[in-house]
Amino acid sequence: MIAPRAWMFLLLAVAILAGNQVWLSHLRYELSLGSQKLAAEQEAIKLETSTLRLEIASLTRPDRLREYARSTLGMAPPRPMQVLHP
Amino acid sequence: MSGKEQVFIRRRIEFVAGLLALGVLLLAVRVVDLQWLQSDRLSDMAEKQRYREFTTQAPRGPILDHKGRVLAESVEIPSIAAIADEVPTASIASLAHELGISSRKLHKKLHNRKGFVWLARQISPAKAEKVMALAIPGVRMESEWRRYQPLGPVTGHLLGFVGIDGKGLEGIERRWNAQLSGEPGIRQVRRDARGHSLPDGVWLREPTPGKGFKLTLDASIQSIAYAALADGVREQQAKGGSVVVMRPSDGAVLAMANWPGYNPNNFGDFHPGEWRNRAITDVFEPGSTMKPFTIAAALQSGRWQPDSRVFCENGAMRVADYTIHDDHEAGWLDLTGILVHSSNIGAAKLAMDVGSNDMYDMLERVGFGSRSGSGLSGESPGIVLSPERWGPVETANIAFGQGIAVTPLQLAAAFSVFANKGIYTTPRLFADQAGKHKRVMTAAIANQVLTMLEFATSEDGTGKYAVPEGYRIAGKTGTAQKPGVHGSYSKSKYMAVFAGVAPVNDPQLVIVVVVDEPQKSIYGGQVAAPVFRHIAESVLPYLGVSARIEDQTAWRNMTIATEVPVLDGTSLAGMSMREVRRYAAERGLRLHVHGSGWVQRYKPAAALSLQQGDALEVWLND
Repeated sequence: MIAPRAWMFLLLAVAILAGNQVWLSHLRYELSLGSQKLAAEQEAIKLETSTLRLEIASLTRPDRLREYARSTLGMAPPRPMQVLHP
Repeated sequence: MSGKEQVFIRRRIEFVAGLLALGVLLLAVRVVDLQWLQSDRLSDMAEKQRYREFTTQAPRGPILDHKGRVLAESVEIPSIAAIADEVPTASIASLAHELGISSRKLHKKLHNRKGFVWLARQISPAKAEKVMALAIPGVRMESEWRRYQPLGPVTGHLLGFVGIDGKGLEGIERRWNAQLSGEPGIRQVRRDARGHSLPDGVWLREPTPGKGFKLTLDASIQSIAYAALADGVREQQAKGGSVVVMRPSDGAVLAMANWPGYNPNNFGDFHPGEWRNRAITDVFEPGSTMKPFTIAAALQSGRWQPDSRVFCENGAMRVADYTIHDDHEAGWLDLTGILVHSSNIGAAKLAMDVGSNDMYDMLERVGFGSRSGSGLSGESPGIVLSPERWGPVETANIAFGQGIAVTPLQLAAAFSVFANKGIYTTPRLFADQAGKHKRVMTAAIANQVLTMLEFATSEDGTGKYAVPEGYRIAGKTGTAQKPGVHGSYSKSKYMAVFAGVAPVNDPQLVIVVVVDEPQKSIYGGQVAAPVFRHIAESVLPYLGVSARIEDQTAWRNMTIATEVPVLDGTSLAGMSMREVRRYAAERGLRLHVHGSGWVQRYKPAAALSLQQGDALEVWLND
C-alpha cells in the first residue's frame, strides 16, 4: 500500500519532469531558430566575402595599378639597374 | 411498475445501447479506413504539409593564381522572372520601364507562353530592387550565380568563360567544368504551424561545393606579358601574337597571353574565332628557333663538336631540286656561328649528316609532335612528319624550322631543356599538378647550346634587341613564312618569333614570343625580341633577380623614373623624403636623412650649390 504522501511526491516528480520536457522542447526550438539564423548569416557572409574578394581583385588589377601609378602618382617602371634589392 | 412499463424501459435501453454499439462500430470502421485503407495517402498529405525541401546552392569553385589572387569567382546576383499568366496587362508598361526594355517586347514575352518565364537575367541588385518595389503580382526575384574574371581580357583566352546557365564553355572553365561546378544540396525540414523549421532536418543530398583551382600562373607576370605583347603587336601593326612564360625548373606556366584579347565577362560581343587560346591551339612553323635543336642533335651524334666548322656555301645550296638560301652569305662557320648568323645552310648540312631518324628522335624527345599534357582542352600536338617521310629536302627544311609546326607552349617547353641542363619538364598549369621530368640530352650538350644561344643575343647576333640592361640572355630569333593558300609559302605573310632563356647564369624564365604578320619588319630579332626584352626586364626584378651592374656609378646619371622636376629652385624645405632622395641621386650627393615626413631643415644651408660627392644632411618631420 503506497502512502498518500508518496503519491504526492510521485505526482510532483511527474509534473516537474513534464515541465522540464516542455521547457527543453522550447529551448530546442529556440536554438533551432537561432541556428537557422546563424546559418543564413554565414551564407550571407560567404557571399559577401566572395564579392569582396572579387572587388579586391578588380581594384588591384596589375594594369589598373600600372595606369594609376603612371597617371596619378607620376611613377614609371624602374630600369633594371635602378633595382638594387628586388 | 407494471410489466408493460418494464418492457418499454428495457426496449428503450436496448435501443440506445444498439445506437451506441452502431456508433462504436462506425467509429471502428472509420478507424480502419483512416489508419489502414487511407493510411499512405493521408500520411503523404500530412508530411507534405509539415515537411519542406530547401535547395542549397553550391557555387562554382574559384580559380586563383599561384599567390591566391582571384582570377575567376562566382557571385550571386538577382534575376527577374514571372509567372506569365499572373502578370496584369496594366502593369506591363511600368515593368518594362524598370527593366529597360520596350513594352511591346515584354508583352510578347509574357503572352507567348504560360507559366515561368525569365524577364531579365543577372541584373544589378539596385535594378532588381526597383522592379520588386513595383510589387506586381506574378513577378518574382530569383538568385543566380554569375562568373566574373577581374583581369578580363588578360586571362580571357586561358580561363575561357561560363555561359548564363553556369556551364563552362571555353578554356579551363570548360575543360574542368565537372570539377569546378558544385552540386546543389537538398535539405528536408519539418515546419511548425508558424512556418518555422523544426530542429530535426535531414540532408536528402549533401551539397558539394565546386572545387577551386590554383594555377601556376602569376597575375602580375600575365599582365606584364599581355601589355608587352599588345605594345609589340600595335607597334608592328601585326595581326596578333602569343606569349608563353615558363619557369624551366618545374615547368610552371607563369603567363600565357594572346593578342587581340577578348573580354570573357562579355564574351557574346566577340566573334567565336577570338575566343581561341592560340598559344596552344594554333601551330606555326618555328623557323630558325628550331636550329638549336638541330645543333643539339649534331652534338648528340658525337660527330660534331662546338668548334666544328661547316662550309655554308656562300649563301646558296642546292638540295635535290630545291635551293636553300641564307639571309647573310657566309663561308666557314662553327656551330656557334651557325646560330649567331642563323645560317639555314649550316643547319641543313648538320641535319643531313645526323640523319632523319636521329633528328626526329631529338624533336620528339623535346616534346614536338605531341600534346604537352598541360590540362587544357583544344591543345594541338603540332605537326612533325614521321621520319620515313623525310627525304633530303624535308630533313634540310626541318633543320631550320620549315615543314614542321609547333605551338608556342611546345616551343617554350622545348627551350626549357637548355635552361634545365638537358631535362625536359612537361608544362604544368595547375599548382597541384605533378610535372614529369625526363633527361633528353646530356647536361654538357644543353650547356653548350645555351652558351651558343647567348652568343646569338650578343651585339653581332640576330637577337641583340632581346637583352635587357644588366642581364645575360640566351635565345634565338625566328622568321617563318606563313603557308599560302595553294600549299606554297606566302611572299608577304610572316611569323616573327623569339624564344629565349633569362638569365643565363641562373635560368628563371623561358619566354616565347610569336608575332603574327608584322607589317613594319618581318624579322623575329626586330619584332619579337623587343617584346621578350620588355617582359624579361619587368619580370626578372619582380622575381627577385637583380641586374648585374658592371658600372656602379652609372645609375647616378640615369634618368630617374619620375620625370617631374622636384626642386622649385629656392629651397629644399617642404620636400618629401622621396623627393629629397631623387634630388640627391640626380646630383650625386651623399645624403643623410633623419626622421620622416617633410624636410624641415638641412645642412649645409647652401644646398643648391653642392657638387657631386658632397654630403647633404636633412631633418624631416611629420
